[in-house]
Amino acid sequence: MIYLDNVHKIFNQGKVNEFQAIKGVDLTLEGGKISVLKGPSGSGKTTLLTMIGGLSRPTSGRVRLQDRDLSSLPERFLTEIRRKTFGFVFQQFNLIKGLSVLDNVMVPALPTGRDHKEVRDQAAALLGRLKIAHKSGARVEWLSGGEAQRVAIARALVNDPEIVIADEPTANLDSALSEEFLEIIHGVKQEGRTVLMTSHDPVVCDAQVVDRVVSMRDGALVDGHQA
Amino acid sequence: MIFQPAIIALLLGSLVVTIMVLAASGFGVQVLRRWNIGSGSELQVKLERQTYLISTLMGFACTIELVSLLLFVFNADRMASQFVGAMCAVGTLNANEFGFPALTLKLINFFLAGIWLILNYVDNKGYDYPLIKPKYLLLLVLAPLMATEFGLQLAYFLGLEADIITSCCGSIFGSDANTVASEMGSLPLSTSMIIFYSVMTLTLLAGVFFILTGKGGIVFAAMSGIGFVAAIQGVISFISIYIYEHPHHHCPFDVIQGGYNYIGYPLYIPLFSAALLGLGVGGLLPFRQKQSLSEVIPLVGRRFAIVSVAGFALFLTVATLSIVFSNLIMFEK
Repeated sequence: MIYLDNVHKIFNQGKVNEFQAIKGVDLTLEGGKISVLKGPSGSGKTTLLTMIGGLSRPTSGRVRLQDRDLSSLPERFLTEIRRKTFGFVFQQFNLIKGLSVLDNVMVPALPTGRDHKEVRDQAAALLGRLKIAHKSGARVEWLSGGEAQRVAIARALVNDPEIVIADEPTANLDSALSEEFLEIIHGVKQEGRTVLMTSHDPVVCDAQVVDRVVSMRDGALVDGHQA
Repeated sequence: MIFQPAIIALLLGSLVVTIMVLAASGFGVQVLRRWNIGSGSELQVKLERQTYLISTLMGFACTIELVSLLLFVFNADRMASQFVGAMCAVGTLNANEFGFPALTLKLINFFLAGIWLILNYVDNKGYDYPLIKPKYLLLLVLAPLMATEFGLQLAYFLGLEADIITSCCGSIFGSDANTVASEMGSLPLSTSMIIFYSVMTLTLLAGVFFILTGKGGIVFAAMSGIGFVAAIQGVISFISIYIYEHPHHHCPFDVIQGGYNYIGYPLYIPLFSAALLGLGVGGLLPFRQKQSLSEVIPLVGRRFAIVSVAGFALFLTVATLSIVFSNLIMFEK
C-alpha cells in the first residue's frame, strides 16, 4: 500500500515565481494493482509520481510505503529504496546512448554489488521475455520507439522492484504499440507487482487491465477520487 | 607576532568554526524545540532538509577543531625560539596569561568536537535521525566554548610580545615547582610505573573483552578516560625522563621536538584518538535501545573499540620502547 497524507509541493517557494504544483493530496493506492494518475498537462500528476517514487520530496505532508515513511528518509536510505523497491520507466525512456541494450538494462543493478554474471543473465532473460533479445548487442540509439520502451521496461525490472512507475509511457507510441505496452504491464502486474502510471491517453485510462484511475486537475484530486 | 602562517591559520580556522557553530546553533534550537518526525508539517520537512547541510558543515568545523589542537601545540613549540627563557611550547604558552587557558579549552573542545563527530556519524546511519536531538544539544554546549576558545586564542596571540622573558618547562614540571604537574613528576618512579602499566593493561583488557563479547562497554569507556589520565601522568612522571635521558626533565611538550625525533607525535596522536573513540563507545551505549540503531551501535561500537585498543597499544609500545632503548638507568641491577 502507498499512502499520501496531505501532500503539498511548492516550487520556488517564497519567490515571485512560486508555483504550487500539488495542493494537499490524500490518497491510498493498493498494492498489486495497476493505477493511473490521469489529468491534463500541468495537473501535477508527474510531480505526484516523482514524490511517490522518492525522486523528489514534498514541501509538506508524508508519503508512506506500507508502514515506512519514505518522505522523511535521509537521502542515503531513500537511494536504497529507489534502487530496490521502485523501477522507473520514463517518458523519454532515458536510455544511455553509446551503451548496448544489454548494458542499459544492467545499469540499475550495478551499484547493488550483485554478481555480474547473474545480472547479465537476468537482463538477458528480461529482454527475452519482452521479445527483444535479438537486439541485446545493438546500441540503444538504433532502436525504434517501441523497442526503446521495452528496453526501458526491462531496465525497470532488473532489480526485481515491488513497484513499477511509468510516466506517460505511451506518449511516444502509436495505438498498436500502446496496446502492446499494456499487455506487458499486465504481465508485470500478474507477477505481483504494483504499477503506477501517469497518462492522459484514453488507450491507457480506459484499458481493462487498469484497476484504478485517479483524476487530477490543478494539483488536486478531482472530486470522487479522494483516498 | 600575529602575522605568522600558523597563527593566521589558527585564528582564521577558529573564527570560521565559531561563526559556523553559532550559525548552526539557531538551527539547533529550532530542532530541539520543534522537531517531530511523526509530523509532515512544512517546518518539519524543512528541518529534515536543512539538517543535511548543517550537519555537513558542522562535520567540517569539528574536524578543523580536532586538527587545530595539533597545530596549536606545534606552533607553540615552533615559536619557543622567539621568547627569552622559552625552551619549548611551555615557554610560549607561558608568555602571557591566556596561553594555558587557551590550550585547556582546546583540549576540552577536542573531545567535545570528537564526540559530536561520533554522534553525527552514528546518526547518519539511522533512517529516522535517531540522535538528532542529542547532536544539536551538544552543539549548543559547543557553541559558547568555541567562541570562548576563539577569544582566548585571539587574546593570547595579540598579547604575545617578543621582549617578554618567559619561564621554561622546569618551572611547571620540575620537582621544585609547586604545581599539580610537578607533583605528578615527583611521584616515586616505581609507583608511577606500576600505576601506569596496571591501568593501561586493564584498559586494554576491558577493550579486548568488549570487542570479543560486546559486553562491558561502559567499563571500557571509563577505563579509556582513566587510561588517558594515567597515560599523561606516565609521560610526565617517567616516560619523559627516559626520552630526554635526564632524571629531572619531566616536560610533556619537549617530546614533540625534532631533537627527540618528534616521538611525541606517535605517542599523543594514538593516545588522543584511542581515548576519544573509547569514550565514544560509552557515549553511544545509551542509544542502543533506539530501534533504528539497535544493529548499528554494536557494530560501530566494536569498530571504535578495535581502533581505540590499537591506539592504546601503539602508545604503550612507543612508550615502552622509549624506555627500553633509553640510555638513562634509573634502577640498579
